[in-house]
Amino acid sequence: MADDNKALAQGLKRHDRNLLDQLIELYQYRLFRYLLYLTSSRERAEDFFQETWIRVLERGHQYDGKYKFEAWLFRIARNLVIDWQRQKKVQSLDALTDPEEGAPMEFAAVNQPSPLHLVLTAEEKTGVHTSLDRIPTVYREVLVLRFQEDLGLEEIAGVLAAPLSTVKSRLYRGLEALRGAMQGGPA
Amino acid sequence: MNKNLHDRAEKLIAQERIEGISQSERDWLAAHLRECPVCTQVAQQTTAALHALRGLPIPLPPGLAERTQFRVQLRAQEMREREPKRRLLWIMCAMSWALGIATAPYVWHAFEWAGERLGVPRLVWEMGFGLWWMIPALIAAAVVLMENLRLTNENDQSE
Repeated sequence: MADDNKALAQGLKRHDRNLLDQLIELYQYRLFRYLLYLTSSRERAEDFFQETWIRVLERGHQYDGKYKFEAWLFRIARNLVIDWQRQKKVQSLDALTDPEEGAPMEFAAVNQPSPLHLVLTAEEKTGVHTSLDRIPTVYREVLVLRFQEDLGLEEIAGVLAAPLSTVKSRLYRGLEALRGAMQGGPA
Repeated sequence: MNKNLHDRAEKLIAQERIEGISQSERDWLAAHLRECPVCTQVAQQTTAALHALRGLPIPLPPGLAERTQFRVQLRAQEMREREPKRRLLWIMCAMSWALGIATAPYVWHAFEWAGERLGVPRLVWEMGFGLWWMIPALIAAAVVLMENLRLTNENDQSE
């Protein structure tokens, strides 16, 4: 695995086109899914998806192969979303701020579906879609990274640039929120 | 049953999935779950929630990878085209700095001689020498800044 990462790092340093094409194919689903959960918008997720790969091309030399490539990739994607939020001065409860530090955690209004809800239920209607939609982004993000992407706690801390204790705390609260939301059933 | 036991069991149910638990904790939890239907339900709900989360399908926009690959190729081409210019710029900078260092003693004497001939105070011709020596670095810095500014504008326009 470490050797694979090193080879990947060398390829990225060389701006290897074939390697980039392969990586885009390989990680398209996972990156898009992560961005969709972060942005709650299909169009934005698509834009950030493309921008993320442009950044990978431009800053490939910064990847040293010490950590999983996907952790580095998600971090780039996350930083792009945060930069965009800063530029647009998006200030909302469901932004990438910690509910523990800001406003208390609240579920979205039941009769007003959010963009994520609309995106997720457009093609597939399941209880978990609605439940995820009710969870603040900050918790949804760590749940996705831990249980869908199978990243380790330290890797998640790397993606979030946050202390391990914060990651754990968000995971515990997120899991509790997910279980609670699923118990409540679809809105 | 003691509430503390339920609290401990609920904590271990989450901890098992998030961080992992020791064998003794796993044994204790298993024993507790055999006797406690409430905590068993919590464990089942947690498992079901995570199972649903893991199997959640996300529809991928058609042609996303192809469009992205195309954009990345274009950007890569752009970068390759710029690379020789940048390399030339750095070579020129390096050469001018090397020449500056090599010729510094002669230029110093030249400034000293000119200063004495024209009756210019020592501080003034020394400052002139410093400025002369800094000119290549100032030009290089200006060019790099302008290039970065141009790139930023291009990126803003493409967005």
